[in-house]
Amino acid sequence: MDPSRAVDLTESVVAFCRFARAKGLPGGLHRSLAALRAVKAVGSNDRECLKFALRAALCSSKAEWDLFDELFQTFEEPSRRTSKSGSGKQNKTIKVSGQRDTPSQYLIGHHASETKPETEGKTVAGASARERLATVDFSQVPQNDLVRLEELSLRLLRQMSLRLSRRLKPGYRPGPTDLRRTIRKLLAHGGEPIVLAFRNKKPQKNRLLIFLDVSGSMNAYTIFLLKFAYALEKHFRQVHTFLFSTTVVEVSDALRARRLSGALEKLSQLAAGWSAGTKIGASLHELNRLHSRKLQAGNTIFMILSDGWDTGAPEMLARELKTIRHRVRKVIWLNPLLGLAAYEPVTRGMTAALPHIDVFAPAHNLESLLALERYL
Amino acid sequence: MDLKRDRDATSPGSAGRQPFQDVDALVQGFGRLNYVADRALATAVFLAVELRKPLLIEGHAGLGKTEVAKVLASLLETALLRLQCYEGLDVNSAVYEWNYQKQLLAIKIEEKSDLSVEEKERHIFSKEFLLERPLLQSILAETASPVLLIDEIDRADEAFEAFLLELLSDFQITIPEMGTIKASHIPYVILTSNGTRELSDALKRRCFYHWIDYPSLEKETKIVSTHLPSMEADLRSDVVRFVQAVRQLDLAKPPGVAETLDCGQAVMSLGKHRLDEEVVEVTLGCLAKSMEDGRKIKDAGIRALLGNPE
Repeated sequence: MDPSRAVDLTESVVAFCRFARAKGLPGGLHRSLAALRAVKAVGSNDRECLKFALRAALCSSKAEWDLFDELFQTFEEPSRRTSKSGSGKQNKTIKVSGQRDTPSQYLIGHHASETKPETEGKTVAGASARERLATVDFSQVPQNDLVRLEELSLRLLRQMSLRLSRRLKPGYRPGPTDLRRTIRKLLAHGGEPIVLAFRNKKPQKNRLLIFLDVSGSMNAYTIFLLKFAYALEKHFRQVHTFLFSTTVVEVSDALRARRLSGALEKLSQLAAGWSAGTKIGASLHELNRLHSRKLQAGNTIFMILSDGWDTGAPEMLARELKTIRHRVRKVIWLNPLLGLAAYEPVTRGMTAALPHIDVFAPAHNLESLLALERYL
Repeated sequence: MDLKRDRDATSPGSAGRQPFQDVDALVQGFGRLNYVADRALATAVFLAVELRKPLLIEGHAGLGKTEVAKVLASLLETALLRLQCYEGLDVNSAVYEWNYQKQLLAIKIEEKSDLSVEEKERHIFSKEFLLERPLLQSILAETASPVLLIDEIDRADEAFEAFLLELLSDFQITIPEMGTIKASHIPYVILTSNGTRELSDALKRRCFYHWIDYPSLEKETKIVSTHLPSMEADLRSDVVRFVQAVRQLDLAKPPGVAETLDCGQAVMSLGKHRLDEEVVEVTLGCLAKSMEDGRKIKDAGIRALLGNPE
């Protein structure tokens, strides 16, 4: 095998890895190395095989898998246009003598002719699956109540009731005998099992899933509740936060920034449908469909923060909320409007949702959130 | 970077190391064992075998994830060791455990013997008293690399996953009483997951990844004809078309290939030659796994799903 060819192949694989990383496929050097090894192992003659090998090495979830297909296609398109050699004998071995090949050529396995190399590379359109619908400016947010919110979050999460897991750990209350420790102890009594050691169930913490409404009607509370979510995310890994209005966006990672300002800046870049309309039912459906793994049976508390003004069908809201309730331990609905003296939950959405909620509580200020301690 | 040397199976010395010539050979091998594999899956398996890196297969239930490992084991003519994960799985049931009852008896029996304490200890902590669980078995394999199937890893908890990481990178296990055991034949590892929870990045980083999706119409037809060869072509196409249509509905548990085969088997044992509304209704339980799903299928109109909307 021609050594220059191996070098070119390496180059093109590296180029693709860099391209993929820039377009949002996670992974660092180790992934690129894995990709290189994979490509070498399958041999590079067959474009399809090469794609599969790269995909197996570079992806690690369904979402990445889908993104990869999209990226691979966009990667090949500009280079199809830019490559310039004759198209005769490229099928079996794609080594073309003469000029230097564009990096992606080896990944593609065929050479088109006409165009010039100026348009190479980065002008790829439509590779981002995330559309940026609108941005918001969070820079003027006062941060004075943040400290208290963080204190509160610490207290809340400490309170979050514990569940016993099935994994056993050494314990002192009678339970299944721990023979390993019993044997160790019997040595002290000349081989008689006088002192028995036991194994007990291990307590396990609950997880929290926050589902925050950022639609227009919630504008007055959005920032405050976001700060609440930030405070919770900051200290605990077992919290997931989703924003919704007409679509659903997970923001757990954005909220895990070191400072609130950083988190808000990241958030403002996301198209979370700020101040848009509300389709609670459709959003819950989306959550059920795409993120069901985060709704772990038995140990998840689902907390929805919304005013219940819904433009979708109330039947859908009821159905989806019911599905979620089947999955999780507890459904808590925090409604900022509940703080108003005259408020009655009579909107269509709210009425439909009420039978499927375990706790219905206000969330318009710090005091109301403090009261949450009782429910977790 | 001499690719040729790595790939050339016929060169002396590498024959034992190179179980498959290339991806297509693997596709054919799987085909011989009645597993219809597409090239994407075959590439992933090929890489896992070739580069000795674990392969993580994700996908919905009933699409043949577990089967991949079984077929691979019989293709390589090697042992299959299976570890079924569940919540609360711990080292005792995954790696090894001492046979405590037997140890206690041995202590009692040896009470009167004049062996020294050290000798007694060495005896009761010898291999004779060791219960080997799948992970240890995979390390201890003596003649050839076994296939280690770690099934439904998403059911085990994070703590177990962390333990697995260590094993998958070093292929060695330490037993305090006996010392460290290192694998002489590194196993081929296949992990499967139903995606009920996100696996840790560290684990995913060590694996090749493959997502098994619902099969296309042709592929599913091929699978059904492989597994139910006595089925008539008309009926087969009816069943496959119907299942594919049902998958388009928004069901809580869309039917997998296993369900298609169940349904086909059921219809055949009823002695039917075509799939009609009546037959579907009596065999609905094969496809719909909850009352809600059954109702959804009926609401969508079985006739319409069968493709004759008159």
